[in-house]
Amino acid sequence: MNTLAKWLIVAFLVTVPLWLGNQYQYHVLIMMGIFTIGAMSLNLLLGYTGQLSLGHVAFFGIGAYTSSLVSLGFDLQLTDSYTFVVEPKPVWFAFFCALIVSGLCGWFVGKLSFRVRGAYFVIVTISFAEVVRLVALNWVDLTEGPMALNNIPPLASGVPWMEAGALSRRVANYYMVLAVGLVAFLIIQRLVQSRVGRAMIALRENESLAKSVGVDVTRYLVLAAITSAAIAGAAGALYAHYVRIVDPDVFLFIYTVTMVIMVISGGKGTLAGPLVGGLIFGILPELTRGHMLPEVQWIVYGALMILIVFFLPQGIVPAVQRGWATWQKRRDQSARDTSASNGRRQEVAR
Amino acid sequence: MATLKRLALAASMLALSGMGAFADTIKIGINQPLTGSVAASGTFITDGAKLAAQAVNEKGGVLGGKQIELVIEDNKSNPSEAAAAAEKLISRDEVVAMMGAWGSTFTLAVMPKLEEYGVPMVVETASSSKVTSAGNPWVFRIAPTSEMEAKAFGRLVPKFEVKKADFLVVNNDWGRGAADEFGKMLKAQGVSVGLVETMDPAAQDVSAQLAKIKASDADTLFVTTGFEQLSLVFKQAKALGIDRRTITTGGSQFPDRLAEQLGGAADNSYHILFFAPWFPEAAANPDVAGQYIDMWNKSGFDKSGLSDGFRGFDAVTTIAAAIDKAGSADPKAIRDALWAVDVKGVNGNIKFDKVGVEGSESGQSSPNVYVIEIKDGKLALPQI
Amino acid sequence: MDQLLQHLLNALILGSTYALLGIGLTFIFGIMRVVNFAHGELYTFGAYMVYLFSVLLGVNFLLSIVIAIVLGIMLGALLEWVLLSRLRGADIDTTMLVMIGAWIIMQNAEQLIWSGVAKSIPMPFPEEPLSVGGVSVAWSRVFVFAVAILLIVGSQTLIQRTRLGKAMRATFQDRDTASLMGININMIYLATFALGSGLAAAAGALLGPIFIVMPTMGNLAVVKAFAIVILGGLGNMKGAALGGFVLALVEELGAGYISSGYRDAMGFLLIILVLMVKPTGLFARTERIG
Repeated sequence: MNTLAKWLIVAFLVTVPLWLGNQYQYHVLIMMGIFTIGAMSLNLLLGYTGQLSLGHVAFFGIGAYTSSLVSLGFDLQLTDSYTFVVEPKPVWFAFFCALIVSGLCGWFVGKLSFRVRGAYFVIVTISFAEVVRLVALNWVDLTEGPMALNNIPPLASGVPWMEAGALSRRVANYYMVLAVGLVAFLIIQRLVQSRVGRAMIALRENESLAKSVGVDVTRYLVLAAITSAAIAGAAGALYAHYVRIVDPDVFLFIYTVTMVIMVISGGKGTLAGPLVGGLIFGILPELTRGHMLPEVQWIVYGALMILIVFFLPQGIVPAVQRGWATWQKRRDQSARDTSASNGRRQEVAR
Repeated sequence: MATLKRLALAASMLALSGMGAFADTIKIGINQPLTGSVAASGTFITDGAKLAAQAVNEKGGVLGGKQIELVIEDNKSNPSEAAAAAEKLISRDEVVAMMGAWGSTFTLAVMPKLEEYGVPMVVETASSSKVTSAGNPWVFRIAPTSEMEAKAFGRLVPKFEVKKADFLVVNNDWGRGAADEFGKMLKAQGVSVGLVETMDPAAQDVSAQLAKIKASDADTLFVTTGFEQLSLVFKQAKALGIDRRTITTGGSQFPDRLAEQLGGAADNSYHILFFAPWFPEAAANPDVAGQYIDMWNKSGFDKSGLSDGFRGFDAVTTIAAAIDKAGSADPKAIRDALWAVDVKGVNGNIKFDKVGVEGSESGQSSPNVYVIEIKDGKLALPQI
Repeated sequence: MDQLLQHLLNALILGSTYALLGIGLTFIFGIMRVVNFAHGELYTFGAYMVYLFSVLLGVNFLLSIVIAIVLGIMLGALLEWVLLSRLRGADIDTTMLVMIGAWIIMQNAEQLIWSGVAKSIPMPFPEEPLSVGGVSVAWSRVFVFAVAILLIVGSQTLIQRTRLGKAMRATFQDRDTASLMGININMIYLATFALGSGLAAAAGALLGPIFIVMPTMGNLAVVKAFAIVILGGLGNMKGAALGGFVLALVEELGAGYISSGYRDAMGFLLIILVLMVKPTGLFARTERIG
């Protein structure tokens, strides 16, 4: 994608509130943004290092719980005489705590699970997510268990002009999600276009070859896992302060599946892939609502997923890029053929 | 006479369709679990709500002729989904009032949304005191708290001669609240409390918990959970050879279905309910109860849902009365009018008292509580 | 003491159905290397078929179970033929994604057809439990145990002693050589997947009546099945059977003596532990890792 198009998209996203008036449309956009950020983080692992983590929602949930707990305050009785007390902290502080804690969990899980590959890796990550869910469910003193953490302070609390009506709070939330999304995108872009990113791709393509030329496999994988987990945690924190309730069901497998579908359909291992996937699967439910039952919607998603794997195994973005490149080549060819003029070659967007 | 009636009907239809252009119907949001672990109860409550809407509309609707329309959202037996459903109902469908959200956990999840948007909700099921003590002035509960339930049951305890009780409860606000409140009530009467075991709302195998309870020397077991899990508890208790007086709380037990499905396994059990459709004459308003039971049977809904469906019926009846009293479809006016309603419901008379934080009180009615016994595979009013 | 015996008995019975689930997935995941998330849906399918035939259509209970297993085998064969046969030689992630798609479609179809409200299936067994000393067990569970053991022994014999079993082992050890030896590779893939699916349907058909039947019942079953296969060592039939009993024992004792809330966590912790310490599984004979 060239720079101009990128800036145009950003400008478009920034001006959305100028013409969007309906609260519900904001809700849809915000939720879509949060899950797209989650998908972007998953893409770093799945698309660039080739490791399919099906426990990704664990980091999303850990971010959500950390940010909620720090902003609500909590106390933990460690021994009979000593209680660890955290007073309620501002939301921005809680947000950074969420980044750090989920990043640490990413490091831990990365260290543990990158000892195994393929199917084993998948199972370890799923097991991790399930264990975290059960801890959230049963550690009632800390997490309130199935009663859920309620009344989580809203994202924009503490900013005076955002305290007003529901609509302006929506606008504020929208910009927060947009800002976090942009920062996450830039970080991932920098990472994958650097030496580290090339090492990761080398790993994905041929692990033993990468090893033999001196790539420190585990180090790069763990680095990817930390970044990915921290970004997923950021998405989780946004989610918690936006919906203002967190319960152990944020760890459900279906959320991971949603993110996987976004990445696969958009195109794994491309920067734009998760964005396209997030857009499609964020908007689609709203367009089809009223025409089909929720179950039928899910059946359509499942079918779409199978069709994409069969017919567009690389995803939509690479397919469009290929189509675009072929079209341009053909146009250039025909331009050369007919007028033999200077067939200007445009650089193909990547 | 018949012609006149038909004319009047045609005229009102005309008026309605004419009005439809600018203000067609008044929307009430229904936030219930239609899938997931407590789907059976949520489905029946939704059915009850539909009947109430039908009854109101047949009598000419509200605000001098407007029909009410229910917008139903499934909260999937999950608190986050309950909050999301409320969000959709309010901001997308623009409902003027809501009913919801089956249980304290889901209701507590929805409550911040009520304050954020200023929409009142009649709570048809929720047992935790937290719902009405949070200082949320948009909440009006017509279900009893665990405390009220325990207190109502308390007068039967001496007659049951309970010495020691164990608890097996679902691991959420509802179950834990019931264990706390009933435990407190029992201790106050000199009964000792043994084990308090919990089970995940979706758990299917509770044999491990029951094996532990089997080894206890208590004479009574209190169980709190939804019907689906309750039937498993009874089956598995029987399989382990536990033969102990069992008392279930919460109001969503469908004792008739338990008796039918489990046969002897459900004998010697008592069930605390908020409506006993098998004995309509015992209800506080037998005429309303009779009308509700008639409508239910005519609609062909599952008979065993009667004991749960009444909540939806009462809640929507209450909301409709408040809309009429408010004289407008403005959520805030409806909230204010809820304080003044006095409705004859299936459970009893519904009138709200101010409870909770002063200055931003929540509403709480005083529902009736009934106890049903299963004896020789049949339902009975306990003779004690 | 009675409590401990009761827990052990519970674990033995639960373990037999876990073993059945594990063996079913061993065919598909352990031998074919398909990370099959739709496995739990075949379990659910089996349970709903028993409901359909024995409750709605009034067919004899035992016959309903047989029908459910046969239909499960057919559905498995259909899945293999429509989806997986086109993906021979594809990497593990690709087939997994396709099976996740199938899982989503099947679960929502079940929700659509049967609604979210749980169903219960009555069983034709005496209500009074079988009691010996201080421990008791329901007759329905004794029945489940017996059938599960029968199916486990049956699959073991099939794999070890029959021509089909030999052909299966040969195919998945070395596809090209097997093909050269005149084995019809496509038939073997189809048969293996169908057999595994049939065992999942059998587990559902047996457990559905003991518990309650709902569309989401397969979700936990599938993760547990993976746990069992990994505990036993990939592709190891006896290991998977033992893994089932180990998981049930850990869960039952954990729930009885540690915390009932963490019951399901025990299994997952066990997987993480096993994969960290001995990734080849608890009962692996040969060092094989995929």
